[in-house]
Amino acid sequence: MMKFNSKTIGYVIFIIAMLLFPALADSKWLAIGSTFLIFSVVGLSEDIILGKGGMFNMGHALFFGIGAYTAAIANKSFGIPILYSIPLAIIIPALCGIVLAGPIIHLRGDYLLVATIGFNIVFLQLVENNIFGITGGPNGIFGLDTPSFLGMDLASPTAIYYLGVGVLILTFFIMANLDRSKAGRALHYLRLDELAANSIGINTRGYKLFAFGLGAGIAGLAGVLLAIQYSAVSPEAFNFMQSVLFFSIVLVGGSSLPGILMGTFVMFVLPEIFRDFATWRYFIFGFAMIFAMILRPEGIFPARFGKIPEYFKRG
Amino acid sequence: MDIFFQQLVNGLTIGSIFALVALGYTMVYGIMKLINFAHGDLVAMASFVGLTVYDQFLGKTTNSILAVIIIFAVTGTIIAMAGIVLERVAYRPLRKAPRLSAVVSALGASLVIQNGIMLIWGPRMRFFPADILPAITWNIGGVYISFIQVVILVISLLIMVGLIFFIDKTRVGAAIRATSIDHDASRLMGIDVNGIITLIFVIGTFLGAVGGLFIGLYYRGINFNMGWNYGLYAFVAAIIGGIGNIPGAMVGGMLLGIFKAFIAGYVSSTWADAFTFTLLIAILVVKPTGIMGERVAEKV
Repeated sequence: MMKFNSKTIGYVIFIIAMLLFPALADSKWLAIGSTFLIFSVVGLSEDIILGKGGMFNMGHALFFGIGAYTAAIANKSFGIPILYSIPLAIIIPALCGIVLAGPIIHLRGDYLLVATIGFNIVFLQLVENNIFGITGGPNGIFGLDTPSFLGMDLASPTAIYYLGVGVLILTFFIMANLDRSKAGRALHYLRLDELAANSIGINTRGYKLFAFGLGAGIAGLAGVLLAIQYSAVSPEAFNFMQSVLFFSIVLVGGSSLPGILMGTFVMFVLPEIFRDFATWRYFIFGFAMIFAMILRPEGIFPARFGKIPEYFKRG
Repeated sequence: MDIFFQQLVNGLTIGSIFALVALGYTMVYGIMKLINFAHGDLVAMASFVGLTVYDQFLGKTTNSILAVIIIFAVTGTIIAMAGIVLERVAYRPLRKAPRLSAVVSALGASLVIQNGIMLIWGPRMRFFPADILPAITWNIGGVYISFIQVVILVISLLIMVGLIFFIDKTRVGAAIRATSIDHDASRLMGIDVNGIITLIFVIGTFLGAVGGLFIGLYYRGINFNMGWNYGLYAFVAAIIGGIGNIPGAMVGGMLLGIFKAFIAGYVSSTWADAFTFTLLIAILVVKPTGIMGERVAEKV
């Protein structure tokens, strides 16, 4: 049962605003809105692994990319309509997340971070070298089919935007349930103290892999949306720099929903609005990252979980 | 067989550069348990500063050896000062904060430096002039060795031997080793911990600056965003050798350089990154503390 507190009301207002947005926006603003939705979903999916699971994953663009490429390859090489490729583009990244994380999940913080960077770089090089001749090399894959479902044409920017809203609401729903579920609590305690969690019988390894799989699957779904929006995929959208941005957005935002949405807005939407600002954005954002961390080391909107006393939350 | 020895020479050259850069990573990690993501960007900045110093002040000197020494001294000093500023602004306020805050701060510093380079020197590739050092190449039994390769190998080796001597045999070195084990206990023993950390940043960034200048002199083309690449490779070198371990970083750098050269020679340079990072992951899976790292007990 949902309780009506200020937080719930905030979400409802946000979702209503997102739903009404196309009525006010022209096509350029609609595209910007879709970008915001897609990257928000990726940011939130990174939060499942990094914020909730406490695993230093700095290769998240990898799963975003696997999802986008799965949809593009399914469409281009196998002729599957792009919307029907969605299940594949969720399952394959989720499996990749579990299989790749499996051998490295026991690594301590920084080592895990470097291993995930490694995966991202290997993925990018496989794609750029046009492995099996299906990834299109450095140019990527373009000219994907426009989405249609049961004869309905969903190619309009408004339809793509609403697809994004739907996925974002789904992500909200998954994350709110995760917070209240057994898995969410297990993740929370193993982030606080893995050894203690293990000794009271929490299957730490299993839950860590679950978080990786879930985060990767949602990122893959966002990847499909990106492929639909541009009807193309290309390697540079999934490089290591993007992973760094997702990583930073979660931590600067404080692993909380408003923080991540704000971070996504600043990093992916503002540069599209202010074209002249684009060359300065990383320079300014770099300073903002340093000062945000100095002033608020736990993020701008630190996440609150249940009624756990403050002194338990020290990472 | 020629290609084997040729790639060995090339690998040792690039390996010494990796090793020089890796020392900065490994020393900072040893003292502060922090991946200094901005280190690679300081290395890139050194290449640009070095090129500007050469263009502005030394372009017309005839004595090229003296010119090179001045470039190294001036650039090294500037970059070492940048290292001090970096530590003061981005890392010192976060020493008691959660680990990840410092990682994000380091990433932020990296973005600032990298894009600062782009805003100052522009986004296009710049080139070191070819005639800074004499372009001599020796042919030894079919293997080509250039003057610059000899310079890089010899100077890197001297620096590394000097550094090991400094850490192992001097009083300051002992203070560094003590600080890396326990900050608080060192402070009780009368060690100026902040001073040691500053010193580590000075040494690390100075060595990185030497590496950055070698990159410019050896490859000639430099790019504002090359710091990420060299930083990552140096970091991989540090991990292969066991992070926090100074001789390990040197061995790791050399091994990585040779490995990368052999991949480029026998497979293809477009696959070098994929092989390198696969190797990294394999090493992490089997022996996370690196080939020369000691077992680190889990702190509970």
